[in-house]
Amino acid sequence: MRTSATPQSLGWLLLPALLVLALFLGSVVLLFFNAFWTRDGFSLVYFRQIVERPDYHEVFLRTVSISVVVALASAVLAYPIAWLLWRLPRWRNLLLVVVLVPWLVSLVVRTYGWLVILGPKGFLNEALRWVGAIQSPLPLIFNDLGVVIGLTHVLMPFAVIATLSVLLQIDTRLEEASESLGASGLATWRRVVLPLSLPGVFTGIGITFLTSMGAIVTPILLGGLRQKMAGTQIYQEVVYNFNMSKASTWALCLLLLSGLGLVVLRALEGALVPKADR
Amino acid sequence: MNAPLIKLGRAGSFALLFFLPAPILVIAATSFAAAGYLRFPPGELSLRWYLEAATDPRWVEAFLTSLGIAAVVAVLATAIAFTGAYACHRLKPRWLPAFELVVMSPLFFPHAALGVALVNVLALSGHLGTAGGIVAAHVVVTLPFAWRPIAVAMARIDGEIVEAASLLGADERRLALGIALPLARSGLVTALLFTFIISFDEVTVTMFLTGPEVTTLPVQIYAFIQENASPVLAAISTATVVVTLAVVMLLERLIGLEFFVAHDPA
Repeated sequence: MRTSATPQSLGWLLLPALLVLALFLGSVVLLFFNAFWTRDGFSLVYFRQIVERPDYHEVFLRTVSISVVVALASAVLAYPIAWLLWRLPRWRNLLLVVVLVPWLVSLVVRTYGWLVILGPKGFLNEALRWVGAIQSPLPLIFNDLGVVIGLTHVLMPFAVIATLSVLLQIDTRLEEASESLGASGLATWRRVVLPLSLPGVFTGIGITFLTSMGAIVTPILLGGLRQKMAGTQIYQEVVYNFNMSKASTWALCLLLLSGLGLVVLRALEGALVPKADR
Repeated sequence: MNAPLIKLGRAGSFALLFFLPAPILVIAATSFAAAGYLRFPPGELSLRWYLEAATDPRWVEAFLTSLGIAAVVAVLATAIAFTGAYACHRLKPRWLPAFELVVMSPLFFPHAALGVALVNVLALSGHLGTAGGIVAAHVVVTLPFAWRPIAVAMARIDGEIVEAASLLGADERRLALGIALPLARSGLVTALLFTFIISFDEVTVTMFLTGPEVTTLPVQIYAFIQENASPVLAAISTATVVVTLAVVMLLERLIGLEFFVAHDPA
């Protein structure tokens, strides 16, 4: 009786969510449309530009290579933090605040922090000069190094969270078994904990890679306008050149490259992670 | 033999952990420096940058705009996620996994691409550079973050309670608002606070959508960094950190932070 009345009345409740999804999917459809529909009608001119211009190849190459380096660096640097939170259950909530607050604070603020630290007259250069380690400031920003440092720091908290959530699923008896069978702490980590936590590491790599591919603020502020990434170019086309077709074309290429990156990552995960864990 | 190694590993891990808030702490320290930058040795302390920020209508306005947009987005995203997740929970449609994949898909969109996509659609409807447009975009961005905690909390509701209430004559309205709503409240509070803070601090998508009429605090901070890095920025930035910290602490007090590292019940 109840079940027959349920579906119709409850189906309406999905409507608001469907509207939001329609907005999202509609915007993606428009992205495709605008990429091919330029000021002069249907055209592939901006795709051809990307294929032909070496300076654009360089931008995409920089975007992908910086994103790969950033994703790997955040995975490696985040792992010990996740391990620490996993090993200290009593302190976990407090330490989680130390991870979550930097994650949730606006990335423009965190990037500004790096500007203050790494700039030519920044905290680090002034400190090094004060102790006499350097005479002239080290060039730490307005180059790829600055972008990598900034993006890695911005994205690390996510890698911590992804890794920790998988570590917390590990059955503690596995560790005890390994140690009671005579394995050292390090051997237990390498042969039991690490393989079991790899799926979390891969999730972290995937998300940090995607986020880095679409970054705009950190590359502009720490890399400058010369060291362009795809996001920088897209933002310029929209805000300064009002060229939505070119921006949409670039966004599609960015999506394509990001998707390809994830496919490669899945293949790597398949090769590295024991099957039972997936 | 292993003990020193483990101690070393732990010390290194702590160093990495405190590297995360480092740039935020540097900014907070700068905001209290009378000189406006960090010097060696450190100079005089002062609140002049906070005073300057609080008396500049541009910052006050952007701050209030961001708070307002975040509040509206939090309520909208949470309400939409609750109604949607409740319908899915009760109806258990066969296409649920596919539907949830679509709900989560904005998460897998690089933000630069999402920004352009939303500019396309908001320009078409004439909402570019309006608060309404920013709210709509933020609801798209935050819906996955509202959906997950609510769906998880909903999955934990004991089906027999709903069954019993229904047998005792509760109508659909009563079941949704009288039973599911209070029982899923941990998910609702998490969704409200989480989406609030994401909206409040969002910059990459928002910077495509602001205009001369309306801008948010993070986007204005970005614009000012590019123009002139005045120390007022450090005070403003510290203010956004305080808001973020307050919301995280509130979430920790009310619900706890386990949600962030917990896995969905399969």
